[in-house]
Amino acid sequence: MSFMDEGFRAPGGSSRNRPHGNLGMLRIAVLGLFLILAIRLGQMQIVDGANYAKRSEQNHIYQKNVLPTRGLITDRNGEALVQNVGVYSASILPEALPNDVQFDDWKEMRYRIYLKLEEITGTSALEIQARVEDAEDAGQGYIAIKAADNLTKEQALALDEVAAEMPGVSLAITPGRSYIGGPEFSHILGYIGPQFAEDAARLDGQGYEFNEPIGKDGLEARYESDLRGTVGYSAVEQDAYGRQIAALQSKDPVPGNSLVLAIDAGLQRYTAELLEDTLPSSEWGTSNVGAAVVMDPNTGEVLALVSIPTYDNNIWAESKIRSAELEALANDSTTYALTNKALSSAAPGSTFKIVTSSAGLEEGNINAGTSFYVGCNLEVKGVNNEIYTYKDWRCHNMTMDVRTALAWSSNVFMFLTAGGDLTATRGLGKDIEESGAILATWARRFGYGKTTGIDLYGEDPGRIPDPGWKKRTYVGPGFNAGDSEWLLGDNYNTAIGQGDVLATPLQVARMTAAIANGGKLVTPHIVNEVISPEGETVRTIEPEFQDVGLSESTIRVIREGMLGSVAYGAGELAQIPNASVAGKTGTAEFYDQKSDRWTQHAWFTGFAPYDKPEVVVTVYFDIGIGGTHAAPVAGKILEYYFENVKR
Amino acid sequence: MSSVTYGYGGSARSSASVWRGWDRFDYVMALTAVVLVGVGLVLIYSGSLSLYDGPMTSFASPVFKQVVFACIGIAAMLVVSKIDYHYLTHYAWVLYGLGILSLLAIMVMGQSAYGSTRWFDLGPVQIQPSEFAKLATILALARYFSEHGGDAKDLKTLLISLAIVSPVAGLVFIQPDLGTSIVFFAIWIGIVVVAGANRSHLLVMAAMFLAVLPFLWTFAIAEYQVDRVAVLVDSEEDPLGDGYNVNQSKIAVGSGQIFGKGFTNGDQTQLGYLKVATKDFIFSLLSEEFGFVGCMVVMGLFILLLMRGVRAAQIAGDPAGQLVAVGIVMLILMQTFINIAVNLSIFPVTGIPLPFISQGGSSLVSIFISLGILQSIVMRHRAYRQT
Repeated sequence: MSFMDEGFRAPGGSSRNRPHGNLGMLRIAVLGLFLILAIRLGQMQIVDGANYAKRSEQNHIYQKNVLPTRGLITDRNGEALVQNVGVYSASILPEALPNDVQFDDWKEMRYRIYLKLEEITGTSALEIQARVEDAEDAGQGYIAIKAADNLTKEQALALDEVAAEMPGVSLAITPGRSYIGGPEFSHILGYIGPQFAEDAARLDGQGYEFNEPIGKDGLEARYESDLRGTVGYSAVEQDAYGRQIAALQSKDPVPGNSLVLAIDAGLQRYTAELLEDTLPSSEWGTSNVGAAVVMDPNTGEVLALVSIPTYDNNIWAESKIRSAELEALANDSTTYALTNKALSSAAPGSTFKIVTSSAGLEEGNINAGTSFYVGCNLEVKGVNNEIYTYKDWRCHNMTMDVRTALAWSSNVFMFLTAGGDLTATRGLGKDIEESGAILATWARRFGYGKTTGIDLYGEDPGRIPDPGWKKRTYVGPGFNAGDSEWLLGDNYNTAIGQGDVLATPLQVARMTAAIANGGKLVTPHIVNEVISPEGETVRTIEPEFQDVGLSESTIRVIREGMLGSVAYGAGELAQIPNASVAGKTGTAEFYDQKSDRWTQHAWFTGFAPYDKPEVVVTVYFDIGIGGTHAAPVAGKILEYYFENVKR
Repeated sequence: MSSVTYGYGGSARSSASVWRGWDRFDYVMALTAVVLVGVGLVLIYSGSLSLYDGPMTSFASPVFKQVVFACIGIAAMLVVSKIDYHYLTHYAWVLYGLGILSLLAIMVMGQSAYGSTRWFDLGPVQIQPSEFAKLATILALARYFSEHGGDAKDLKTLLISLAIVSPVAGLVFIQPDLGTSIVFFAIWIGIVVVAGANRSHLLVMAAMFLAVLPFLWTFAIAEYQVDRVAVLVDSEEDPLGDGYNVNQSKIAVGSGQIFGKGFTNGDQTQLGYLKVATKDFIFSLLSEEFGFVGCMVVMGLFILLLMRGVRAAQIAGDPAGQLVAVGIVMLILMQTFINIAVNLSIFPVTGIPLPFISQGGSSLVSIFISLGILQSIVMRHRAYRQT
């Protein structure tokens, strides 16, 4: 016990030194370090406390969204164009796999699971292992990862059977779409797919689950809010090991609304096949792009909207196995198959003469009786006394009024109507610029130069040039001082739908509809009705019109001209036995950069029956001759319509 | 002279001597420590609810086990406080040598058997040589300075003292245990500052340290990979990777807000999101269930305890006692600071427990032994002041 005494002699000489240390520093150190901790604690618990409290809640309350069934899409007769299918995948939650806390041989257990997955899905065990380890290294073991995607039904069943014995592995079913209508519907329907990373935050705000697919194009995108439905959820409290502690709340999902289209599936297929089979090949080159619009002029219902070439929109759902195909499609710079040609613009050519004639009749510089003798071309003396020659497409050598001019598609008559000849004949306005501006105004009244408002994304507004536009556009590098001046030639070019004029087949069809329905510019629509899951009508798309501002007499004269075109003129090949067709051909010169030469677009737009128009058809080929190639195709479409489409 | 000379009285007076000196015993300090242990017991109970649901009085109960160790620790404190600390400084070099040997031994054993273990496994008790080495180093430094007039003004003296602490800190560093090696240097700095080191010397050394820091940093990164292996081997330390627990502890601390979620109501802890909630991350548990207010109370208790330690240094009878007291204050201060800093995510995860509070016998007993030494210094201060 002696060492417990106070009897130990301290090491020599210790008592001669008094302790002299400065202990104030030590006190400051104690208080200073705790002050740092207190400040940090205050920041975490008081300043950011509410935020952390929310994260704590999210940590253990799992709100699992229950995805609704997406709405269906049928054609006007009820034919299903889409089907909902489950996309099966093998899902792994790394956190729930056997781990070192639970088992000594957890590594072997995990590897056995990976091997089993390899056996079922074909994804190699090592690859799965690598993905799991990557996720865990990134500290994201609580997020499920996909070990294998797009499983077949057999694989899915096999996985489901054994999943119960493999903690952390489950069969995940995400909603998918199968497009059963055929590739002819791809441009209209679009497709659904996983969210893009850049949209994820916005969609999250709208309550989207991160694995919930969204509409990417076509009607799937445009009617996303109708088709999607309302997400249900079940909220459970869960501990760190994934055990469910309590079920808190749940709400069943509400299926999405279905769409009934104006499209007639049979007509759509027939039209697409017809266009594909009749892509023109002539001295002007070979066409590989086409489009057709069939619509009801009285309601704006689009009965067929075809873009050639078509593609299979199931390709995105099967992108893993069809990646080469998808890449080819995405990089296609010959036909740009993904682009909807019915909504893309090109020079409308002589179909635009309907606008020019209407403008002339309405402005009064021509009337139903005005006639000109038209030879092979128009010669105009310029201000410098030089004679400029403007060619017609053929030598008409006859006196023609506006009806005959439309029927034979005379360029010279339209030149005189729009711009006059600067001497005896007056154009639309008192001078060249005013004529150009008036013609452009009429074009816009017919719906050119802006989108039609169809219920699809990606519509091209086209282009209507006028003096103001030219002044703004033809300046800057590459242009000379006088280039931006609006000239007589600009009036002439615009009068026949060439030069800088661009229009989409849908716009041309809409113009035709305005002549057919008595002067109303209708808004085209693909969808007729939105139907609830119970089968009740949620809303009907009502026709919308704007008045073009045409007098009855003008409409009558234009119709007569269009009737003549098919009866005896340039559009003769559009004649059909079951109805009288009125129409207008178009053959628009353009410079083709691909083949490095001047060539022509082929157009035909018309309506039938003449007395009581109920259908408008517009056909477009990128290369060809309107009367020769487009007119007969339009005729066949109308023939099919009258025989097969029940209204 | 002093009462020391009367100490040669022999065993006849020894029975009485057991009861002597207790009037000078620092009851405030001891009581504060016991309260901290009590806080620890409450937290360990809450933190082990999801892991243990047996009877309270079983040795399998973590709370009961901690009570047992606390009793052993308090007994050890009382015994040590009766030992004249001069015995300890007298044998300082021997203890220091033993400390280094034990650290070397654990390295060798680690290589042969355990990978990266920091302790000897003696059945139910684990002994961490670094706990022992900390005290031995404090004693050695105190002894060294007391023999050199308690003066660190001399550069040579200062460098030799650094040479005393460096091998121990180095051995701990390569275990790897970055936190404990920082504790070693903090102890050294505390002792040399109080021992009167020349400020310019310290500044030059600090500048030199900053200059070699980039090289140390590269070295430390390599060490860090070793550390990752250690984490794999010793899963309890950080079972789901560094990021996981740091994140969960942040959420636990922050979500406690001002008043906490209440005793046994912290869902981060109770639902198992917070790992090692009764050991290294017990402060996160405290923050979650008792909030800012609870944390302030506990930190206040630590400040009180440490200030009593500073008082011990203040009234110490001789430079050796003063420097030992300073070393022990620095030891407790730095372990507390680093542990809480880790919990608040302002320091990388290290395996340092929170003194008095974290579950674990060997650190509890050794911290009470440290308190015993402080008490021994306090109880003997008058012996010197009398002259």
